[in-house]
This record gives sequence, C-alpha cells and structure tokens, in this order.
Amino acid sequence: MSLENVTAALTEPPGPAGEAAGERGARLRLRAFADNRLAVAGLVVVVLLTLFSFVGPLLYHTDQIHTRLTMETLPPGPGHPLGTDNVGYDQLGRLMAGGQTTLEVAFGAAAFAVIVGVLWGATAGYLGGIADGLMMRIVDALLAIPALLLLLFLATVFRPSVVMLIIVVGLTAWLVPARLVRGEALSLRNREYVLAARTMGVRTPTIIYRHIVTNSIGTIIVNATFQVADAILVVAALSFLGLGVSPPATNWGAMLSDGLNYTFSGYWWLTYPPGLAIVVTVVAFNLIGDGLRDAFGLSARLR
Amino acid sequence: MLEVAGLRVDIRLRRGAVHAVQDVSLRVAAGETIGIVGESGCGKSTLGLALAGLLPAPAVARGSIRLGGRELVGLSESELRAVRGAEVGVVFQDPMTSLNPTQRIGAQVGEALRLQRGASKQAARDAAADMLDLVGLPQPREQLDRFPHELSGGMRQRVVIASALICEPRLLIADEPTTALDVTTQAQILDLFGRLRQELGMATLLITHDMGVVAGHTDRVFVMYAGREAETGSTTSVFETPEHRYTGALLGSILRMETAHLAPLATIPGRPPDLTLELAGCPFAPRCPAATDRCRRDFPAVTADGGHQWRCHHPLTEPAPSSQAREASS
Amino acid sequence: MTRFLIRRCAQAVVVLVLVSIIVFGLLHLLPGGPARAILGTHATPSNVAAFNKANGLDQPVPAQYWHWLTGVLSGNLGFSYQQNQTVAALLANRIPKTAFLAGVSVVLAVLVAVPVGLYQAVRRNKADDYVVTTVTFVLYSTPAFWVGLLLVDVLAVRLHVFPAEAPQGSFSAILSHPNAMVLPVLTVTLVTIAAFSRYIRSSVLDELAQDYVRMARSKGAGQGVILFRHVLRNALSPVVTLLGLSLPFILSGTLITEQVFNYPGVGLLAFNSATNQDYPVLLGVVLVVGVATVAGSLLADIAYAMLDPRVRYTTAGGGSR
Repeated sequence: MSLENVTAALTEPPGPAGEAAGERGARLRLRAFADNRLAVAGLVVVVLLTLFSFVGPLLYHTDQIHTRLTMETLPPGPGHPLGTDNVGYDQLGRLMAGGQTTLEVAFGAAAFAVIVGVLWGATAGYLGGIADGLMMRIVDALLAIPALLLLLFLATVFRPSVVMLIIVVGLTAWLVPARLVRGEALSLRNREYVLAARTMGVRTPTIIYRHIVTNSIGTIIVNATFQVADAILVVAALSFLGLGVSPPATNWGAMLSDGLNYTFSGYWWLTYPPGLAIVVTVVAFNLIGDGLRDAFGLSARLR
Repeated sequence: MLEVAGLRVDIRLRRGAVHAVQDVSLRVAAGETIGIVGESGCGKSTLGLALAGLLPAPAVARGSIRLGGRELVGLSESELRAVRGAEVGVVFQDPMTSLNPTQRIGAQVGEALRLQRGASKQAARDAAADMLDLVGLPQPREQLDRFPHELSGGMRQRVVIASALICEPRLLIADEPTTALDVTTQAQILDLFGRLRQELGMATLLITHDMGVVAGHTDRVFVMYAGREAETGSTTSVFETPEHRYTGALLGSILRMETAHLAPLATIPGRPPDLTLELAGCPFAPRCPAATDRCRRDFPAVTADGGHQWRCHHPLTEPAPSSQAREASS
Repeated sequence: MTRFLIRRCAQAVVVLVLVSIIVFGLLHLLPGGPARAILGTHATPSNVAAFNKANGLDQPVPAQYWHWLTGVLSGNLGFSYQQNQTVAALLANRIPKTAFLAGVSVVLAVLVAVPVGLYQAVRRNKADDYVVTTVTFVLYSTPAFWVGLLLVDVLAVRLHVFPAEAPQGSFSAILSHPNAMVLPVLTVTLVTIAAFSRYIRSSVLDELAQDYVRMARSKGAGQGVILFRHVLRNALSPVVTLLGLSLPFILSGTLITEQVFNYPGVGLLAFNSATNQDYPVLLGVVLVVGVATVAGSLLADIAYAMLDPRVRYTTAGGGSR
C-alpha cells in the first residue's frame, strides 16, 4: 500500500456538512431522489425524448436532406403526422433530427462547461491567495459580459457546427460551476484530511481531485443538470439570432425561430412542436436538478 | 406545575409515522429542575418541542400536558401562541444561529414582552436591559444596540436565555443549552440556570445527552430511550443506585475520577431502534448485555421505589440473568 | 465597512482591467487583425498598413493596448466606418433606450416577484404554491423570444390591444408611445419574474428553516411577525446581490427582446453590428455592457453591506453606531 493510499484510508473524508458517508449516503440520496415524483418524471421525460430523437429516426424514416418545395407547409395529416415545414421536410422527422442536435449540443456544452469550471474553481479555491484572487477576477470579468454578446461575437468568427456550438456555449457557461466549486474548495482546503494529505506530501493535483472534487460532487452534479437546461435555451436564442447550425442540419431552437416567421399564417405545427419540445426538455432538466439538489441536501439558493 | 400524562408524539411522514414520544408521564414542580437525558434521536428534543407547543406541522401530540392547571394538548395555534414566551420560554442549542443576525439585541430580548404583554418600545428596552443584567451581561444598556455577531458564543447564549425569560415564564425548556459552548462557558451557563431558578422560581427542563451536565445541576432525572421513559428519580438516587441497564450504560460512558484508571471509557454498542416500527418488548433489549427472552417479548412495567421508578426486567440492583437465560432464544 | 469598500473597489478595478483586456484581445483575435476588422474585408494591403501606422498598430502589443486603453478612457471607443459615426455617438443614442427598457422591467419584476416568492414560500406545497411554481417554472424554461412572440400573437394580432412593434426614433419619441412599450417591457418582465420569484421562494424557505425563526416562534411570534419582522429582511438582502449578478442575464433578455420587437436599443445595435461584421461597434457594446455590469455588481455589494450588519460593522472594527 502506497503512502497515498494510507492517507486516503486514514482520512476517509466525511464530506461537507450533511453528507452521509460512502455507499450508504449514495443509497440514501438515490432513495430521496426516487421519492421526488417530479424529479423522476423529469428523468422519464429526458429518457423518452432521447429515445425519440436518436432511436425514432430508425423506426420512422424521413428525408431530412432534400427539400421539396412542392410539399411545403402541409398541415398534419396522413403521411405527415405533424405536417411539413416551409421547405417540405416532414416535421415529425425534423423534430427527431433537431432533437439530436439540441441534445448533443446541450450535453456536450454542459460537460465542457462543468469540466473546465470544476478544474478552474477547484484549483483556485485550493491554491487560495493571489492565484485564487486572479483566477476568480478573470471569472468575474467574463461573467460581466453577457454570454449572448460574447456568443454573437464568437459566432461571427467561427462558423457554427455542432462541435463549434458545444465549444462556444461551453466557453461562456463554465463560469458558474467555477464559482460554485471554488466556494466548496475554499471550505474544504482547511479540513484535517486535506491538511494531513498535504503534510504527507500528496501531490497537489491528486489532492484537488481526490478531496476537493470528490467532496464537491453534489454541487457539481446538480450544476451539470442545470447547465444542460441552460444550454438548450442558449442554443435556442442563438438560433433565433440566426447563429444556429446551418441547414439541412437543425435544432429545436432553429425550427422554432423559422416557424415563427409563419406565426401569423396560422401554421401552428411549425412552432408549437419544437417550442414545446424545448420547454418540456428544459423543465425536465430543471426538475431533475431540483430533485438532485434536494437529495444532496444542498441549499435551495443553488440554482 | 407541569404535569404530563400519557404523552405520545407521532411524526407523520410519507414512509409511515415516527413514534417519537411514547406514553411519557412526568411532573415538575415550580422551582424544580429536571434533566431529560438520552442519546440523540431518543425523542427528548421532540418532547421539549411538544411541551413548548412548537411541534412542526407533521407532528401530532396526544395525551395531556397541563401547565399550571391548563391543558395544552389540543389548543389552537393562536391559543398556543399566547402560551409561548409568556408561560414557556425556550433556549435552543446553538446560540450562533438562535438569534436573528440582522436584529439588534435589545429588540430580540424585548420581543416576547412586546408581543405577549403589549409593552411599549421603551418599556421593553428597559426590561431587556434589566434582564441582560440579570443574566450577567456586562454593560447591559450598551448591548441593546449591538448585533448578535458582535458577541461571543457564551454571551449570545446569555442573550437567548434573557429573551426566553423576559416574561418570567413558569417553565423554561433548555434543549442542549451548553452543547455548542466550550467547557468553561458551559459551567458558567449551568450555574446561571441555577441562580435564575432561585431568583425567578420557574421550573426548568434541562434536555441533554450528557450525564455530567445533569449531575450537578438538576433535582431530578428522566432517562429516555426510544421515545419512552427508562428511569426517573431524584438525581442522587439515580446516580447512586441506577436501576435501568441503559442508565447504567449512560453512566458508564462518563469519565469518573476514581475509576478512570481502572476501566476504559465505556461506549454503548449498537444504535437506537427505528422509531417507525411498533416495538414489542424492551426497546433497549437488542443492545443490552443482560437481555433475555422476556425482555424481547414484554415491555417492562414500572417498578417504583418511592420517587424512583424504572422500566427494566433485570435492574442493576438485582443479579444479572444467567448466560443460559440470555442465549435461550438466539 | 471602509476596509470592505476599499477592498471591493480594488477588486472592481482589477475586473475592469481584465474586461478591457478581453475586449482588446477579441479585437486582435479576429482573422486579419484589428485593421481588417475595422476597415472591412475589402481594404487593400496598403490601406491596412497606413491604418496600422496611423493607429500605432505596428507597435508591440502592450503599447497598442496602452494606446487603445487611454483612448477608451478619454471617451474614444473607436469609429464605425460602416456607419460613418463614432462608436461613442452610436452608443450614446442607444444606451438610454436599453436602460429604460431594462430598468422599467426589472423594477416591475422585483415588485411582482417579491410578493409572489414570499407567498409561495408561505404556502409551500399547497395547491396554490404548485400552480404559481408551475407557471414560473414553465416561463423560466421557455425561450424569451417565444414568450415575446406569443404575447404578440395574443395581445397584438388577435386582440389588438397593443401594437406589435416597439416605438422607433429618439428617446423622447419612444417615451411618447407608452402603449407600444407595453409588450417589450412585459416580455423582459415576465422572463425576469420567472427567474427571480424562484430565487426569492428558495431564499425565504431557507430563512424560515433557520433556528432564529423557531426561537421567534418560541417567544410567541405569529406568522406575520416572523415573516415581516424577521425573515423578510434576511431573505431580501441576497436579492440585492441577485440583482447585481443577474444584470448580464437581464441584458441578454433585453437583447433578445429588442430583436423580437425591433426596439432600437443597444442589443439591436450589437446584433446588427454582428451581422454586418461591424466589429468596432460590437466590441464597443461588449465593453460598455461589461463596465456597466461590473459597476452594477459593485453597487449591489455595497448595498448588501449596508443591509447586513455582519458586513456593516465587523470590518469597521466597531461596536455601536
């Protein structure tokens, strides 16, 4: 057994206030989450929408590449359960294709934001002092600029694709997890088990990972869930500003914004399906986030 | 003064009810201090909240709580409100969080007087200053305009006590009032309770997990286990001749000068039972070294010797059951 | 308190410097550098070289930054060759309009969100709390532009109550058409209420669970006394911080709303500049908004310190007033 393992074993972290230790704690949280009917409903919705977007196209084949202008804006009916859009794509099939992009970007951007934010925040909080001060001022400075403005700028420079959107949205979204984790790290860095690990010569990256990140896991998971919800809304806003992915690729936000040009023509099937898909998905992720937050016993102010 | 008879408190949760307090009866005379002792989760704090009329919404009290002849169980919220602060004062565990951080000391100490007696601002201020003086805060007048964070923990607990006693209630409930304080301050606060009792003559219910706190500062002890009475009696008799094996175990867990070098500090193995289940038999049986089949089957009836009573099939003053009897069932 | 103020102001200065570095960095991040960004893609190499020389862009980067920063500090935010106007002039025309839209909406949002959040917290887990929570939850999860267009659809197109387009022209022209301001203001307000009431509900619930509330109850305080004399102040002081922190969020909502209603504010200016690749203007907006946010959160923190005696007194080393 290496020295590091001894320290880890000796100082098995009790975790931040209110956290039950180890597996028993995890089981308790799982049960608390499962008790929260709204959160479970949110989870079910997310699973269903994911299946709809990714498995749906395998069962329901539509052409989402070639436009057919003769078939534009057909109302829902046989052959097209949700009608067709302004360039003749089948709207139900498009909803699936758009769902794929939306969820890919949302999950990707959330993962990107959380990974960068956690590393940044944990490092700043653990190091403390001047390094912390400078790192957090950088976060403050970036937070001071509305994400949408920054995205507007970035989107004019980089041509939007799924990967680009993930990076661009992630780049503006990592600031909140960085702040949250930094706060946790500040309170964790002076715990006995962290001090013990440090005196025993455990390397800083190891301490940050094993003690700071591991013990902030509740905050991190909860924030990641909210990040997915936020990313969907940000992508929708970008699409509305004309900065989404380029056709024939699409996402729900782009479908909604395109459809809104026809609001006053009465083509409800162009707006309501993608619009409601966005609302339902975002609500679902927010419900899951709320449920996880309560299960981890975190403050309700942590949105 | 305070008479509690057959009190039960159930806390209704989605996964069934927690029977937090079961069939508790006790009497406290004016000017008397009684210690309620037990491990955390034994229902002692719930008992305190029930007596203060402060049970949270999902909790239901049944039985009888008579304070100065008046029945408290079944009173409406507004009737209870008139009792709180006026007839019963409460001191909670943590003085750091018991005070409103954005309100000045004077307003918080005088609050009950203003609410319950309709005192004017000035009258409440004067009374608050007197009360702060009584609880031993230096320069009480100057403290009135301070905020809680400007005081030390011990001083804050004195402020909490002052605000609980401003209306001179008949009953003071102190729930772990010294647990959050350092040892020197603990002793000062406990002595303060003794002095206040002499000067104001209220009955005091001192809730604690610490037998050491009970020892020098109470007249009687009420030992609770799993929401039930285990043993009651005068502090002297319970400490000198403990009968219930749980009381014995609690006493074994405090350090005694004369035996410290002989035996290591005893701890009680195991955990208190799950209070959502209806228990048959003695609730302490699973952790009791002397438990027999009878303990596991029948809840012990009260045995009394004068004012000293206990619920135990094999009290400490009788010889322990043979190992044969203990292993019969397992 | 004084120490806190000094520390906090020093922080704000550092953040401002970083904001300026970010904006300066963005200008240099553009393909072809700032000259191409400012002059446009059709400029000849000799034009670019002349521009670089004239603006000190042939100097080392720190010197360029210093040159740019001193310019900004003296009010020179750059020049838009596309619109043939200084960025400062363009912004000066737009800022009051956006400030008006955002300001009115935020005030309304706070006026509604505080009582709603308080009500929700008090009625926690009762039917009416569920209804209000559901409404705010759904509103919070709906893209702001859709909220705006649904309002247009119902209130302008179907019911003809309010005009669908925001008033145009100068600031005073806008003020003279309050009717046309209703839908834009309503949009920003609704989106903001959704976020705020959720926060306030949580904030009040957190406070209601505090020990001092139980202590107040034990002294005979009723629901009203607890709510208004104890909880409200403690629950609302974080709202001040929230206001400071959510300035970027509110401005993002305003930007979208300006686009929906074609309201001639800073957001629409930024959007049009982005589409026309008019970078001096876009970055001018970024800079001004960044500075406004830093100032806003500084003010919020100072206000919070005034409200919270723990900050007000401890750092001043002091007892009573």
